Amino acid sequence: MLLALSGSCGRLEMQEQEKVLVVDHRKCTGCRLCELVCSVFHTGSSNPSRSRVKVVKWEDVGFYLPMACNHCEQAYCVEVCPTKACHREPENNNRVTIDKKLCIGCRTCIIACPFGHPFFDIQERVTVKCDYCDGDPQCARFCDVKAISFTDADKTNMAKKREAFLKYAESMKQVR
Amino acid sequence: MRTGPVHPIRNTRYLRPQKEWKEIIAIYLYLAGMGAGSFVIGTLINWMGTKLNPSFLPSIDLFGYALNLTGVPILWGPIMVAIGAPFLILDLGIKWRFMYACLNPRTSWVARGFIILSIFIILGLALLAKSLLPFKWLHAESVLWRIPEIIAFAFGLGTAIYTGILLKATRSIPLWNTNLLPLLFLVSALSTGSMAIILSTLGTGFFSHDAGALKVLMGGEQILVVIEGIVLYLFLSRRYRAAEQGKDSVRLLLFGEMKLMFWGGIVLLGFVFPVILENITSFFPGSAVLIFAAGILLLCGGFFLRLGVLHAGIKDQIPMHRLMEIQYNVMAERTKALAGERLKSPN
Repeated sequence: MLLALSGSCGRLEMQEQEKVLVVDHRKCTGCRLCELVCSVFHTGSSNPSRSRVKVVKWEDVGFYLPMACNHCEQAYCVEVCPTKACHREPENNNRVTIDKKLCIGCRTCIIACPFGHPFFDIQERVTVKCDYCDGDPQCARFCDVKAISFTDADKTNMAKKREAFLKYAESMKQVR
Repeated sequence: MRTGPVHPIRNTRYLRPQKEWKEIIAIYLYLAGMGAGSFVIGTLINWMGTKLNPSFLPSIDLFGYALNLTGVPILWGPIMVAIGAPFLILDLGIKWRFMYACLNPRTSWVARGFIILSIFIILGLALLAKSLLPFKWLHAESVLWRIPEIIAFAFGLGTAIYTGILLKATRSIPLWNTNLLPLLFLVSALSTGSMAIILSTLGTGFFSHDAGALKVLMGGEQILVVIEGIVLYLFLSRRYRAAEQGKDSVRLLLFGEMKLMFWGGIVLLGFVFPVILENITSFFPGSAVLIFAAGILLLCGGFFLRLGVLHAGIKDQIPMHRLMEIQYNVMAERTKALAGERLKSPN
């Protein structure tokens, strides 16, 4: 949380800092608990196939990668949505979310997303995606090893970039 | 342990063609393109003043009025588009919400297409009805009708191009993300549309005012097929060089799982057989069977072209995927090395 004073009369305003989901695949054990809790929160059923987060697994080398929506700054899913069902909510962590009442299930957003994130829910017949569980992402909350965390965007951005470049440099060294 | 030559991450996850838009969308793209193309060609024929021979046309009465059928074989395109549009609705998750699809024309090409197709279908069917109905108060020969005709012509062209823009606008699939795709679909729409007109005029006495009109139309159609072939070559060669996934898509079409559809459905049915049959037809003038066979094959080829392009769409690789590949390689090497050490050690 960030507290900011504004106005000449000293009115106190509480401004919420934008938060994002950060994934550290090195910590992920591939337990898929995140998928389970996500599906329970959103659908009421413990059905990982209806989860908004997917763990991509390569068992032969023990490589697990939880994939969630990046809520991109220039979100292709928002651009291509014909009904404005897929929209950005600046007041809610600047998240990109889908209004189920407006979604027609055309799946254009699924094709447009370079991360392959929005999913088509067979039961509801609409496209669904991560919406940060209305501010309390269950995947981050229940991840025991903290492979997924929900942290301030400003803090994570630099750390994420630094981490990514370090990882890349390390990988390149090993490749050579 | 996996020992295949193709990278497992790319092979198992990122090289999969998209599965969201399948045959139903291909039917929609095909009918919309072919219908719009035939309307554009039909309107051009209509503007040139070429009419069908009324004596060869059947007589249909509606409530005591004899319908004028001379314009129907060249202006029926909007009917095909109207038949094709419901296929898009069939593909929706919640079908009754299809009217919502026009709410975001500012950025969405699906919404723009909904508007373009709606205007084209309404105007095109109105013009078809005008040509059909014998009422004098319609003043069918009035110059004022040129205005809706020009608008419908423009929207017909727009519909034919739109089918390609719809795919291009998704951006994440390198095979589709090129201006050559709308051009390819436009040329294909015009070639299949002109062939559809040739087929619909078979048995209707061909063209009465100008004996060579059919010949001109068939010549034009053959030129369009050749242009389509050139555009298809340019499209595939450019996409092959554009991105890694573009290359994979082209390889999938030409040498992969879809080679039968490409070489058999698109190349043979859509290009080679129709051109050969049409050339044979020139030695046997008036052979309706050969023209009919060439026409059906070309129309099938047009459908397979759209189906092939849809099915071969592979998503772009983002930098994160590349990083994952590198990390996977490193981990795989480590695993191999560990396994090797274990084998060497006596315990």
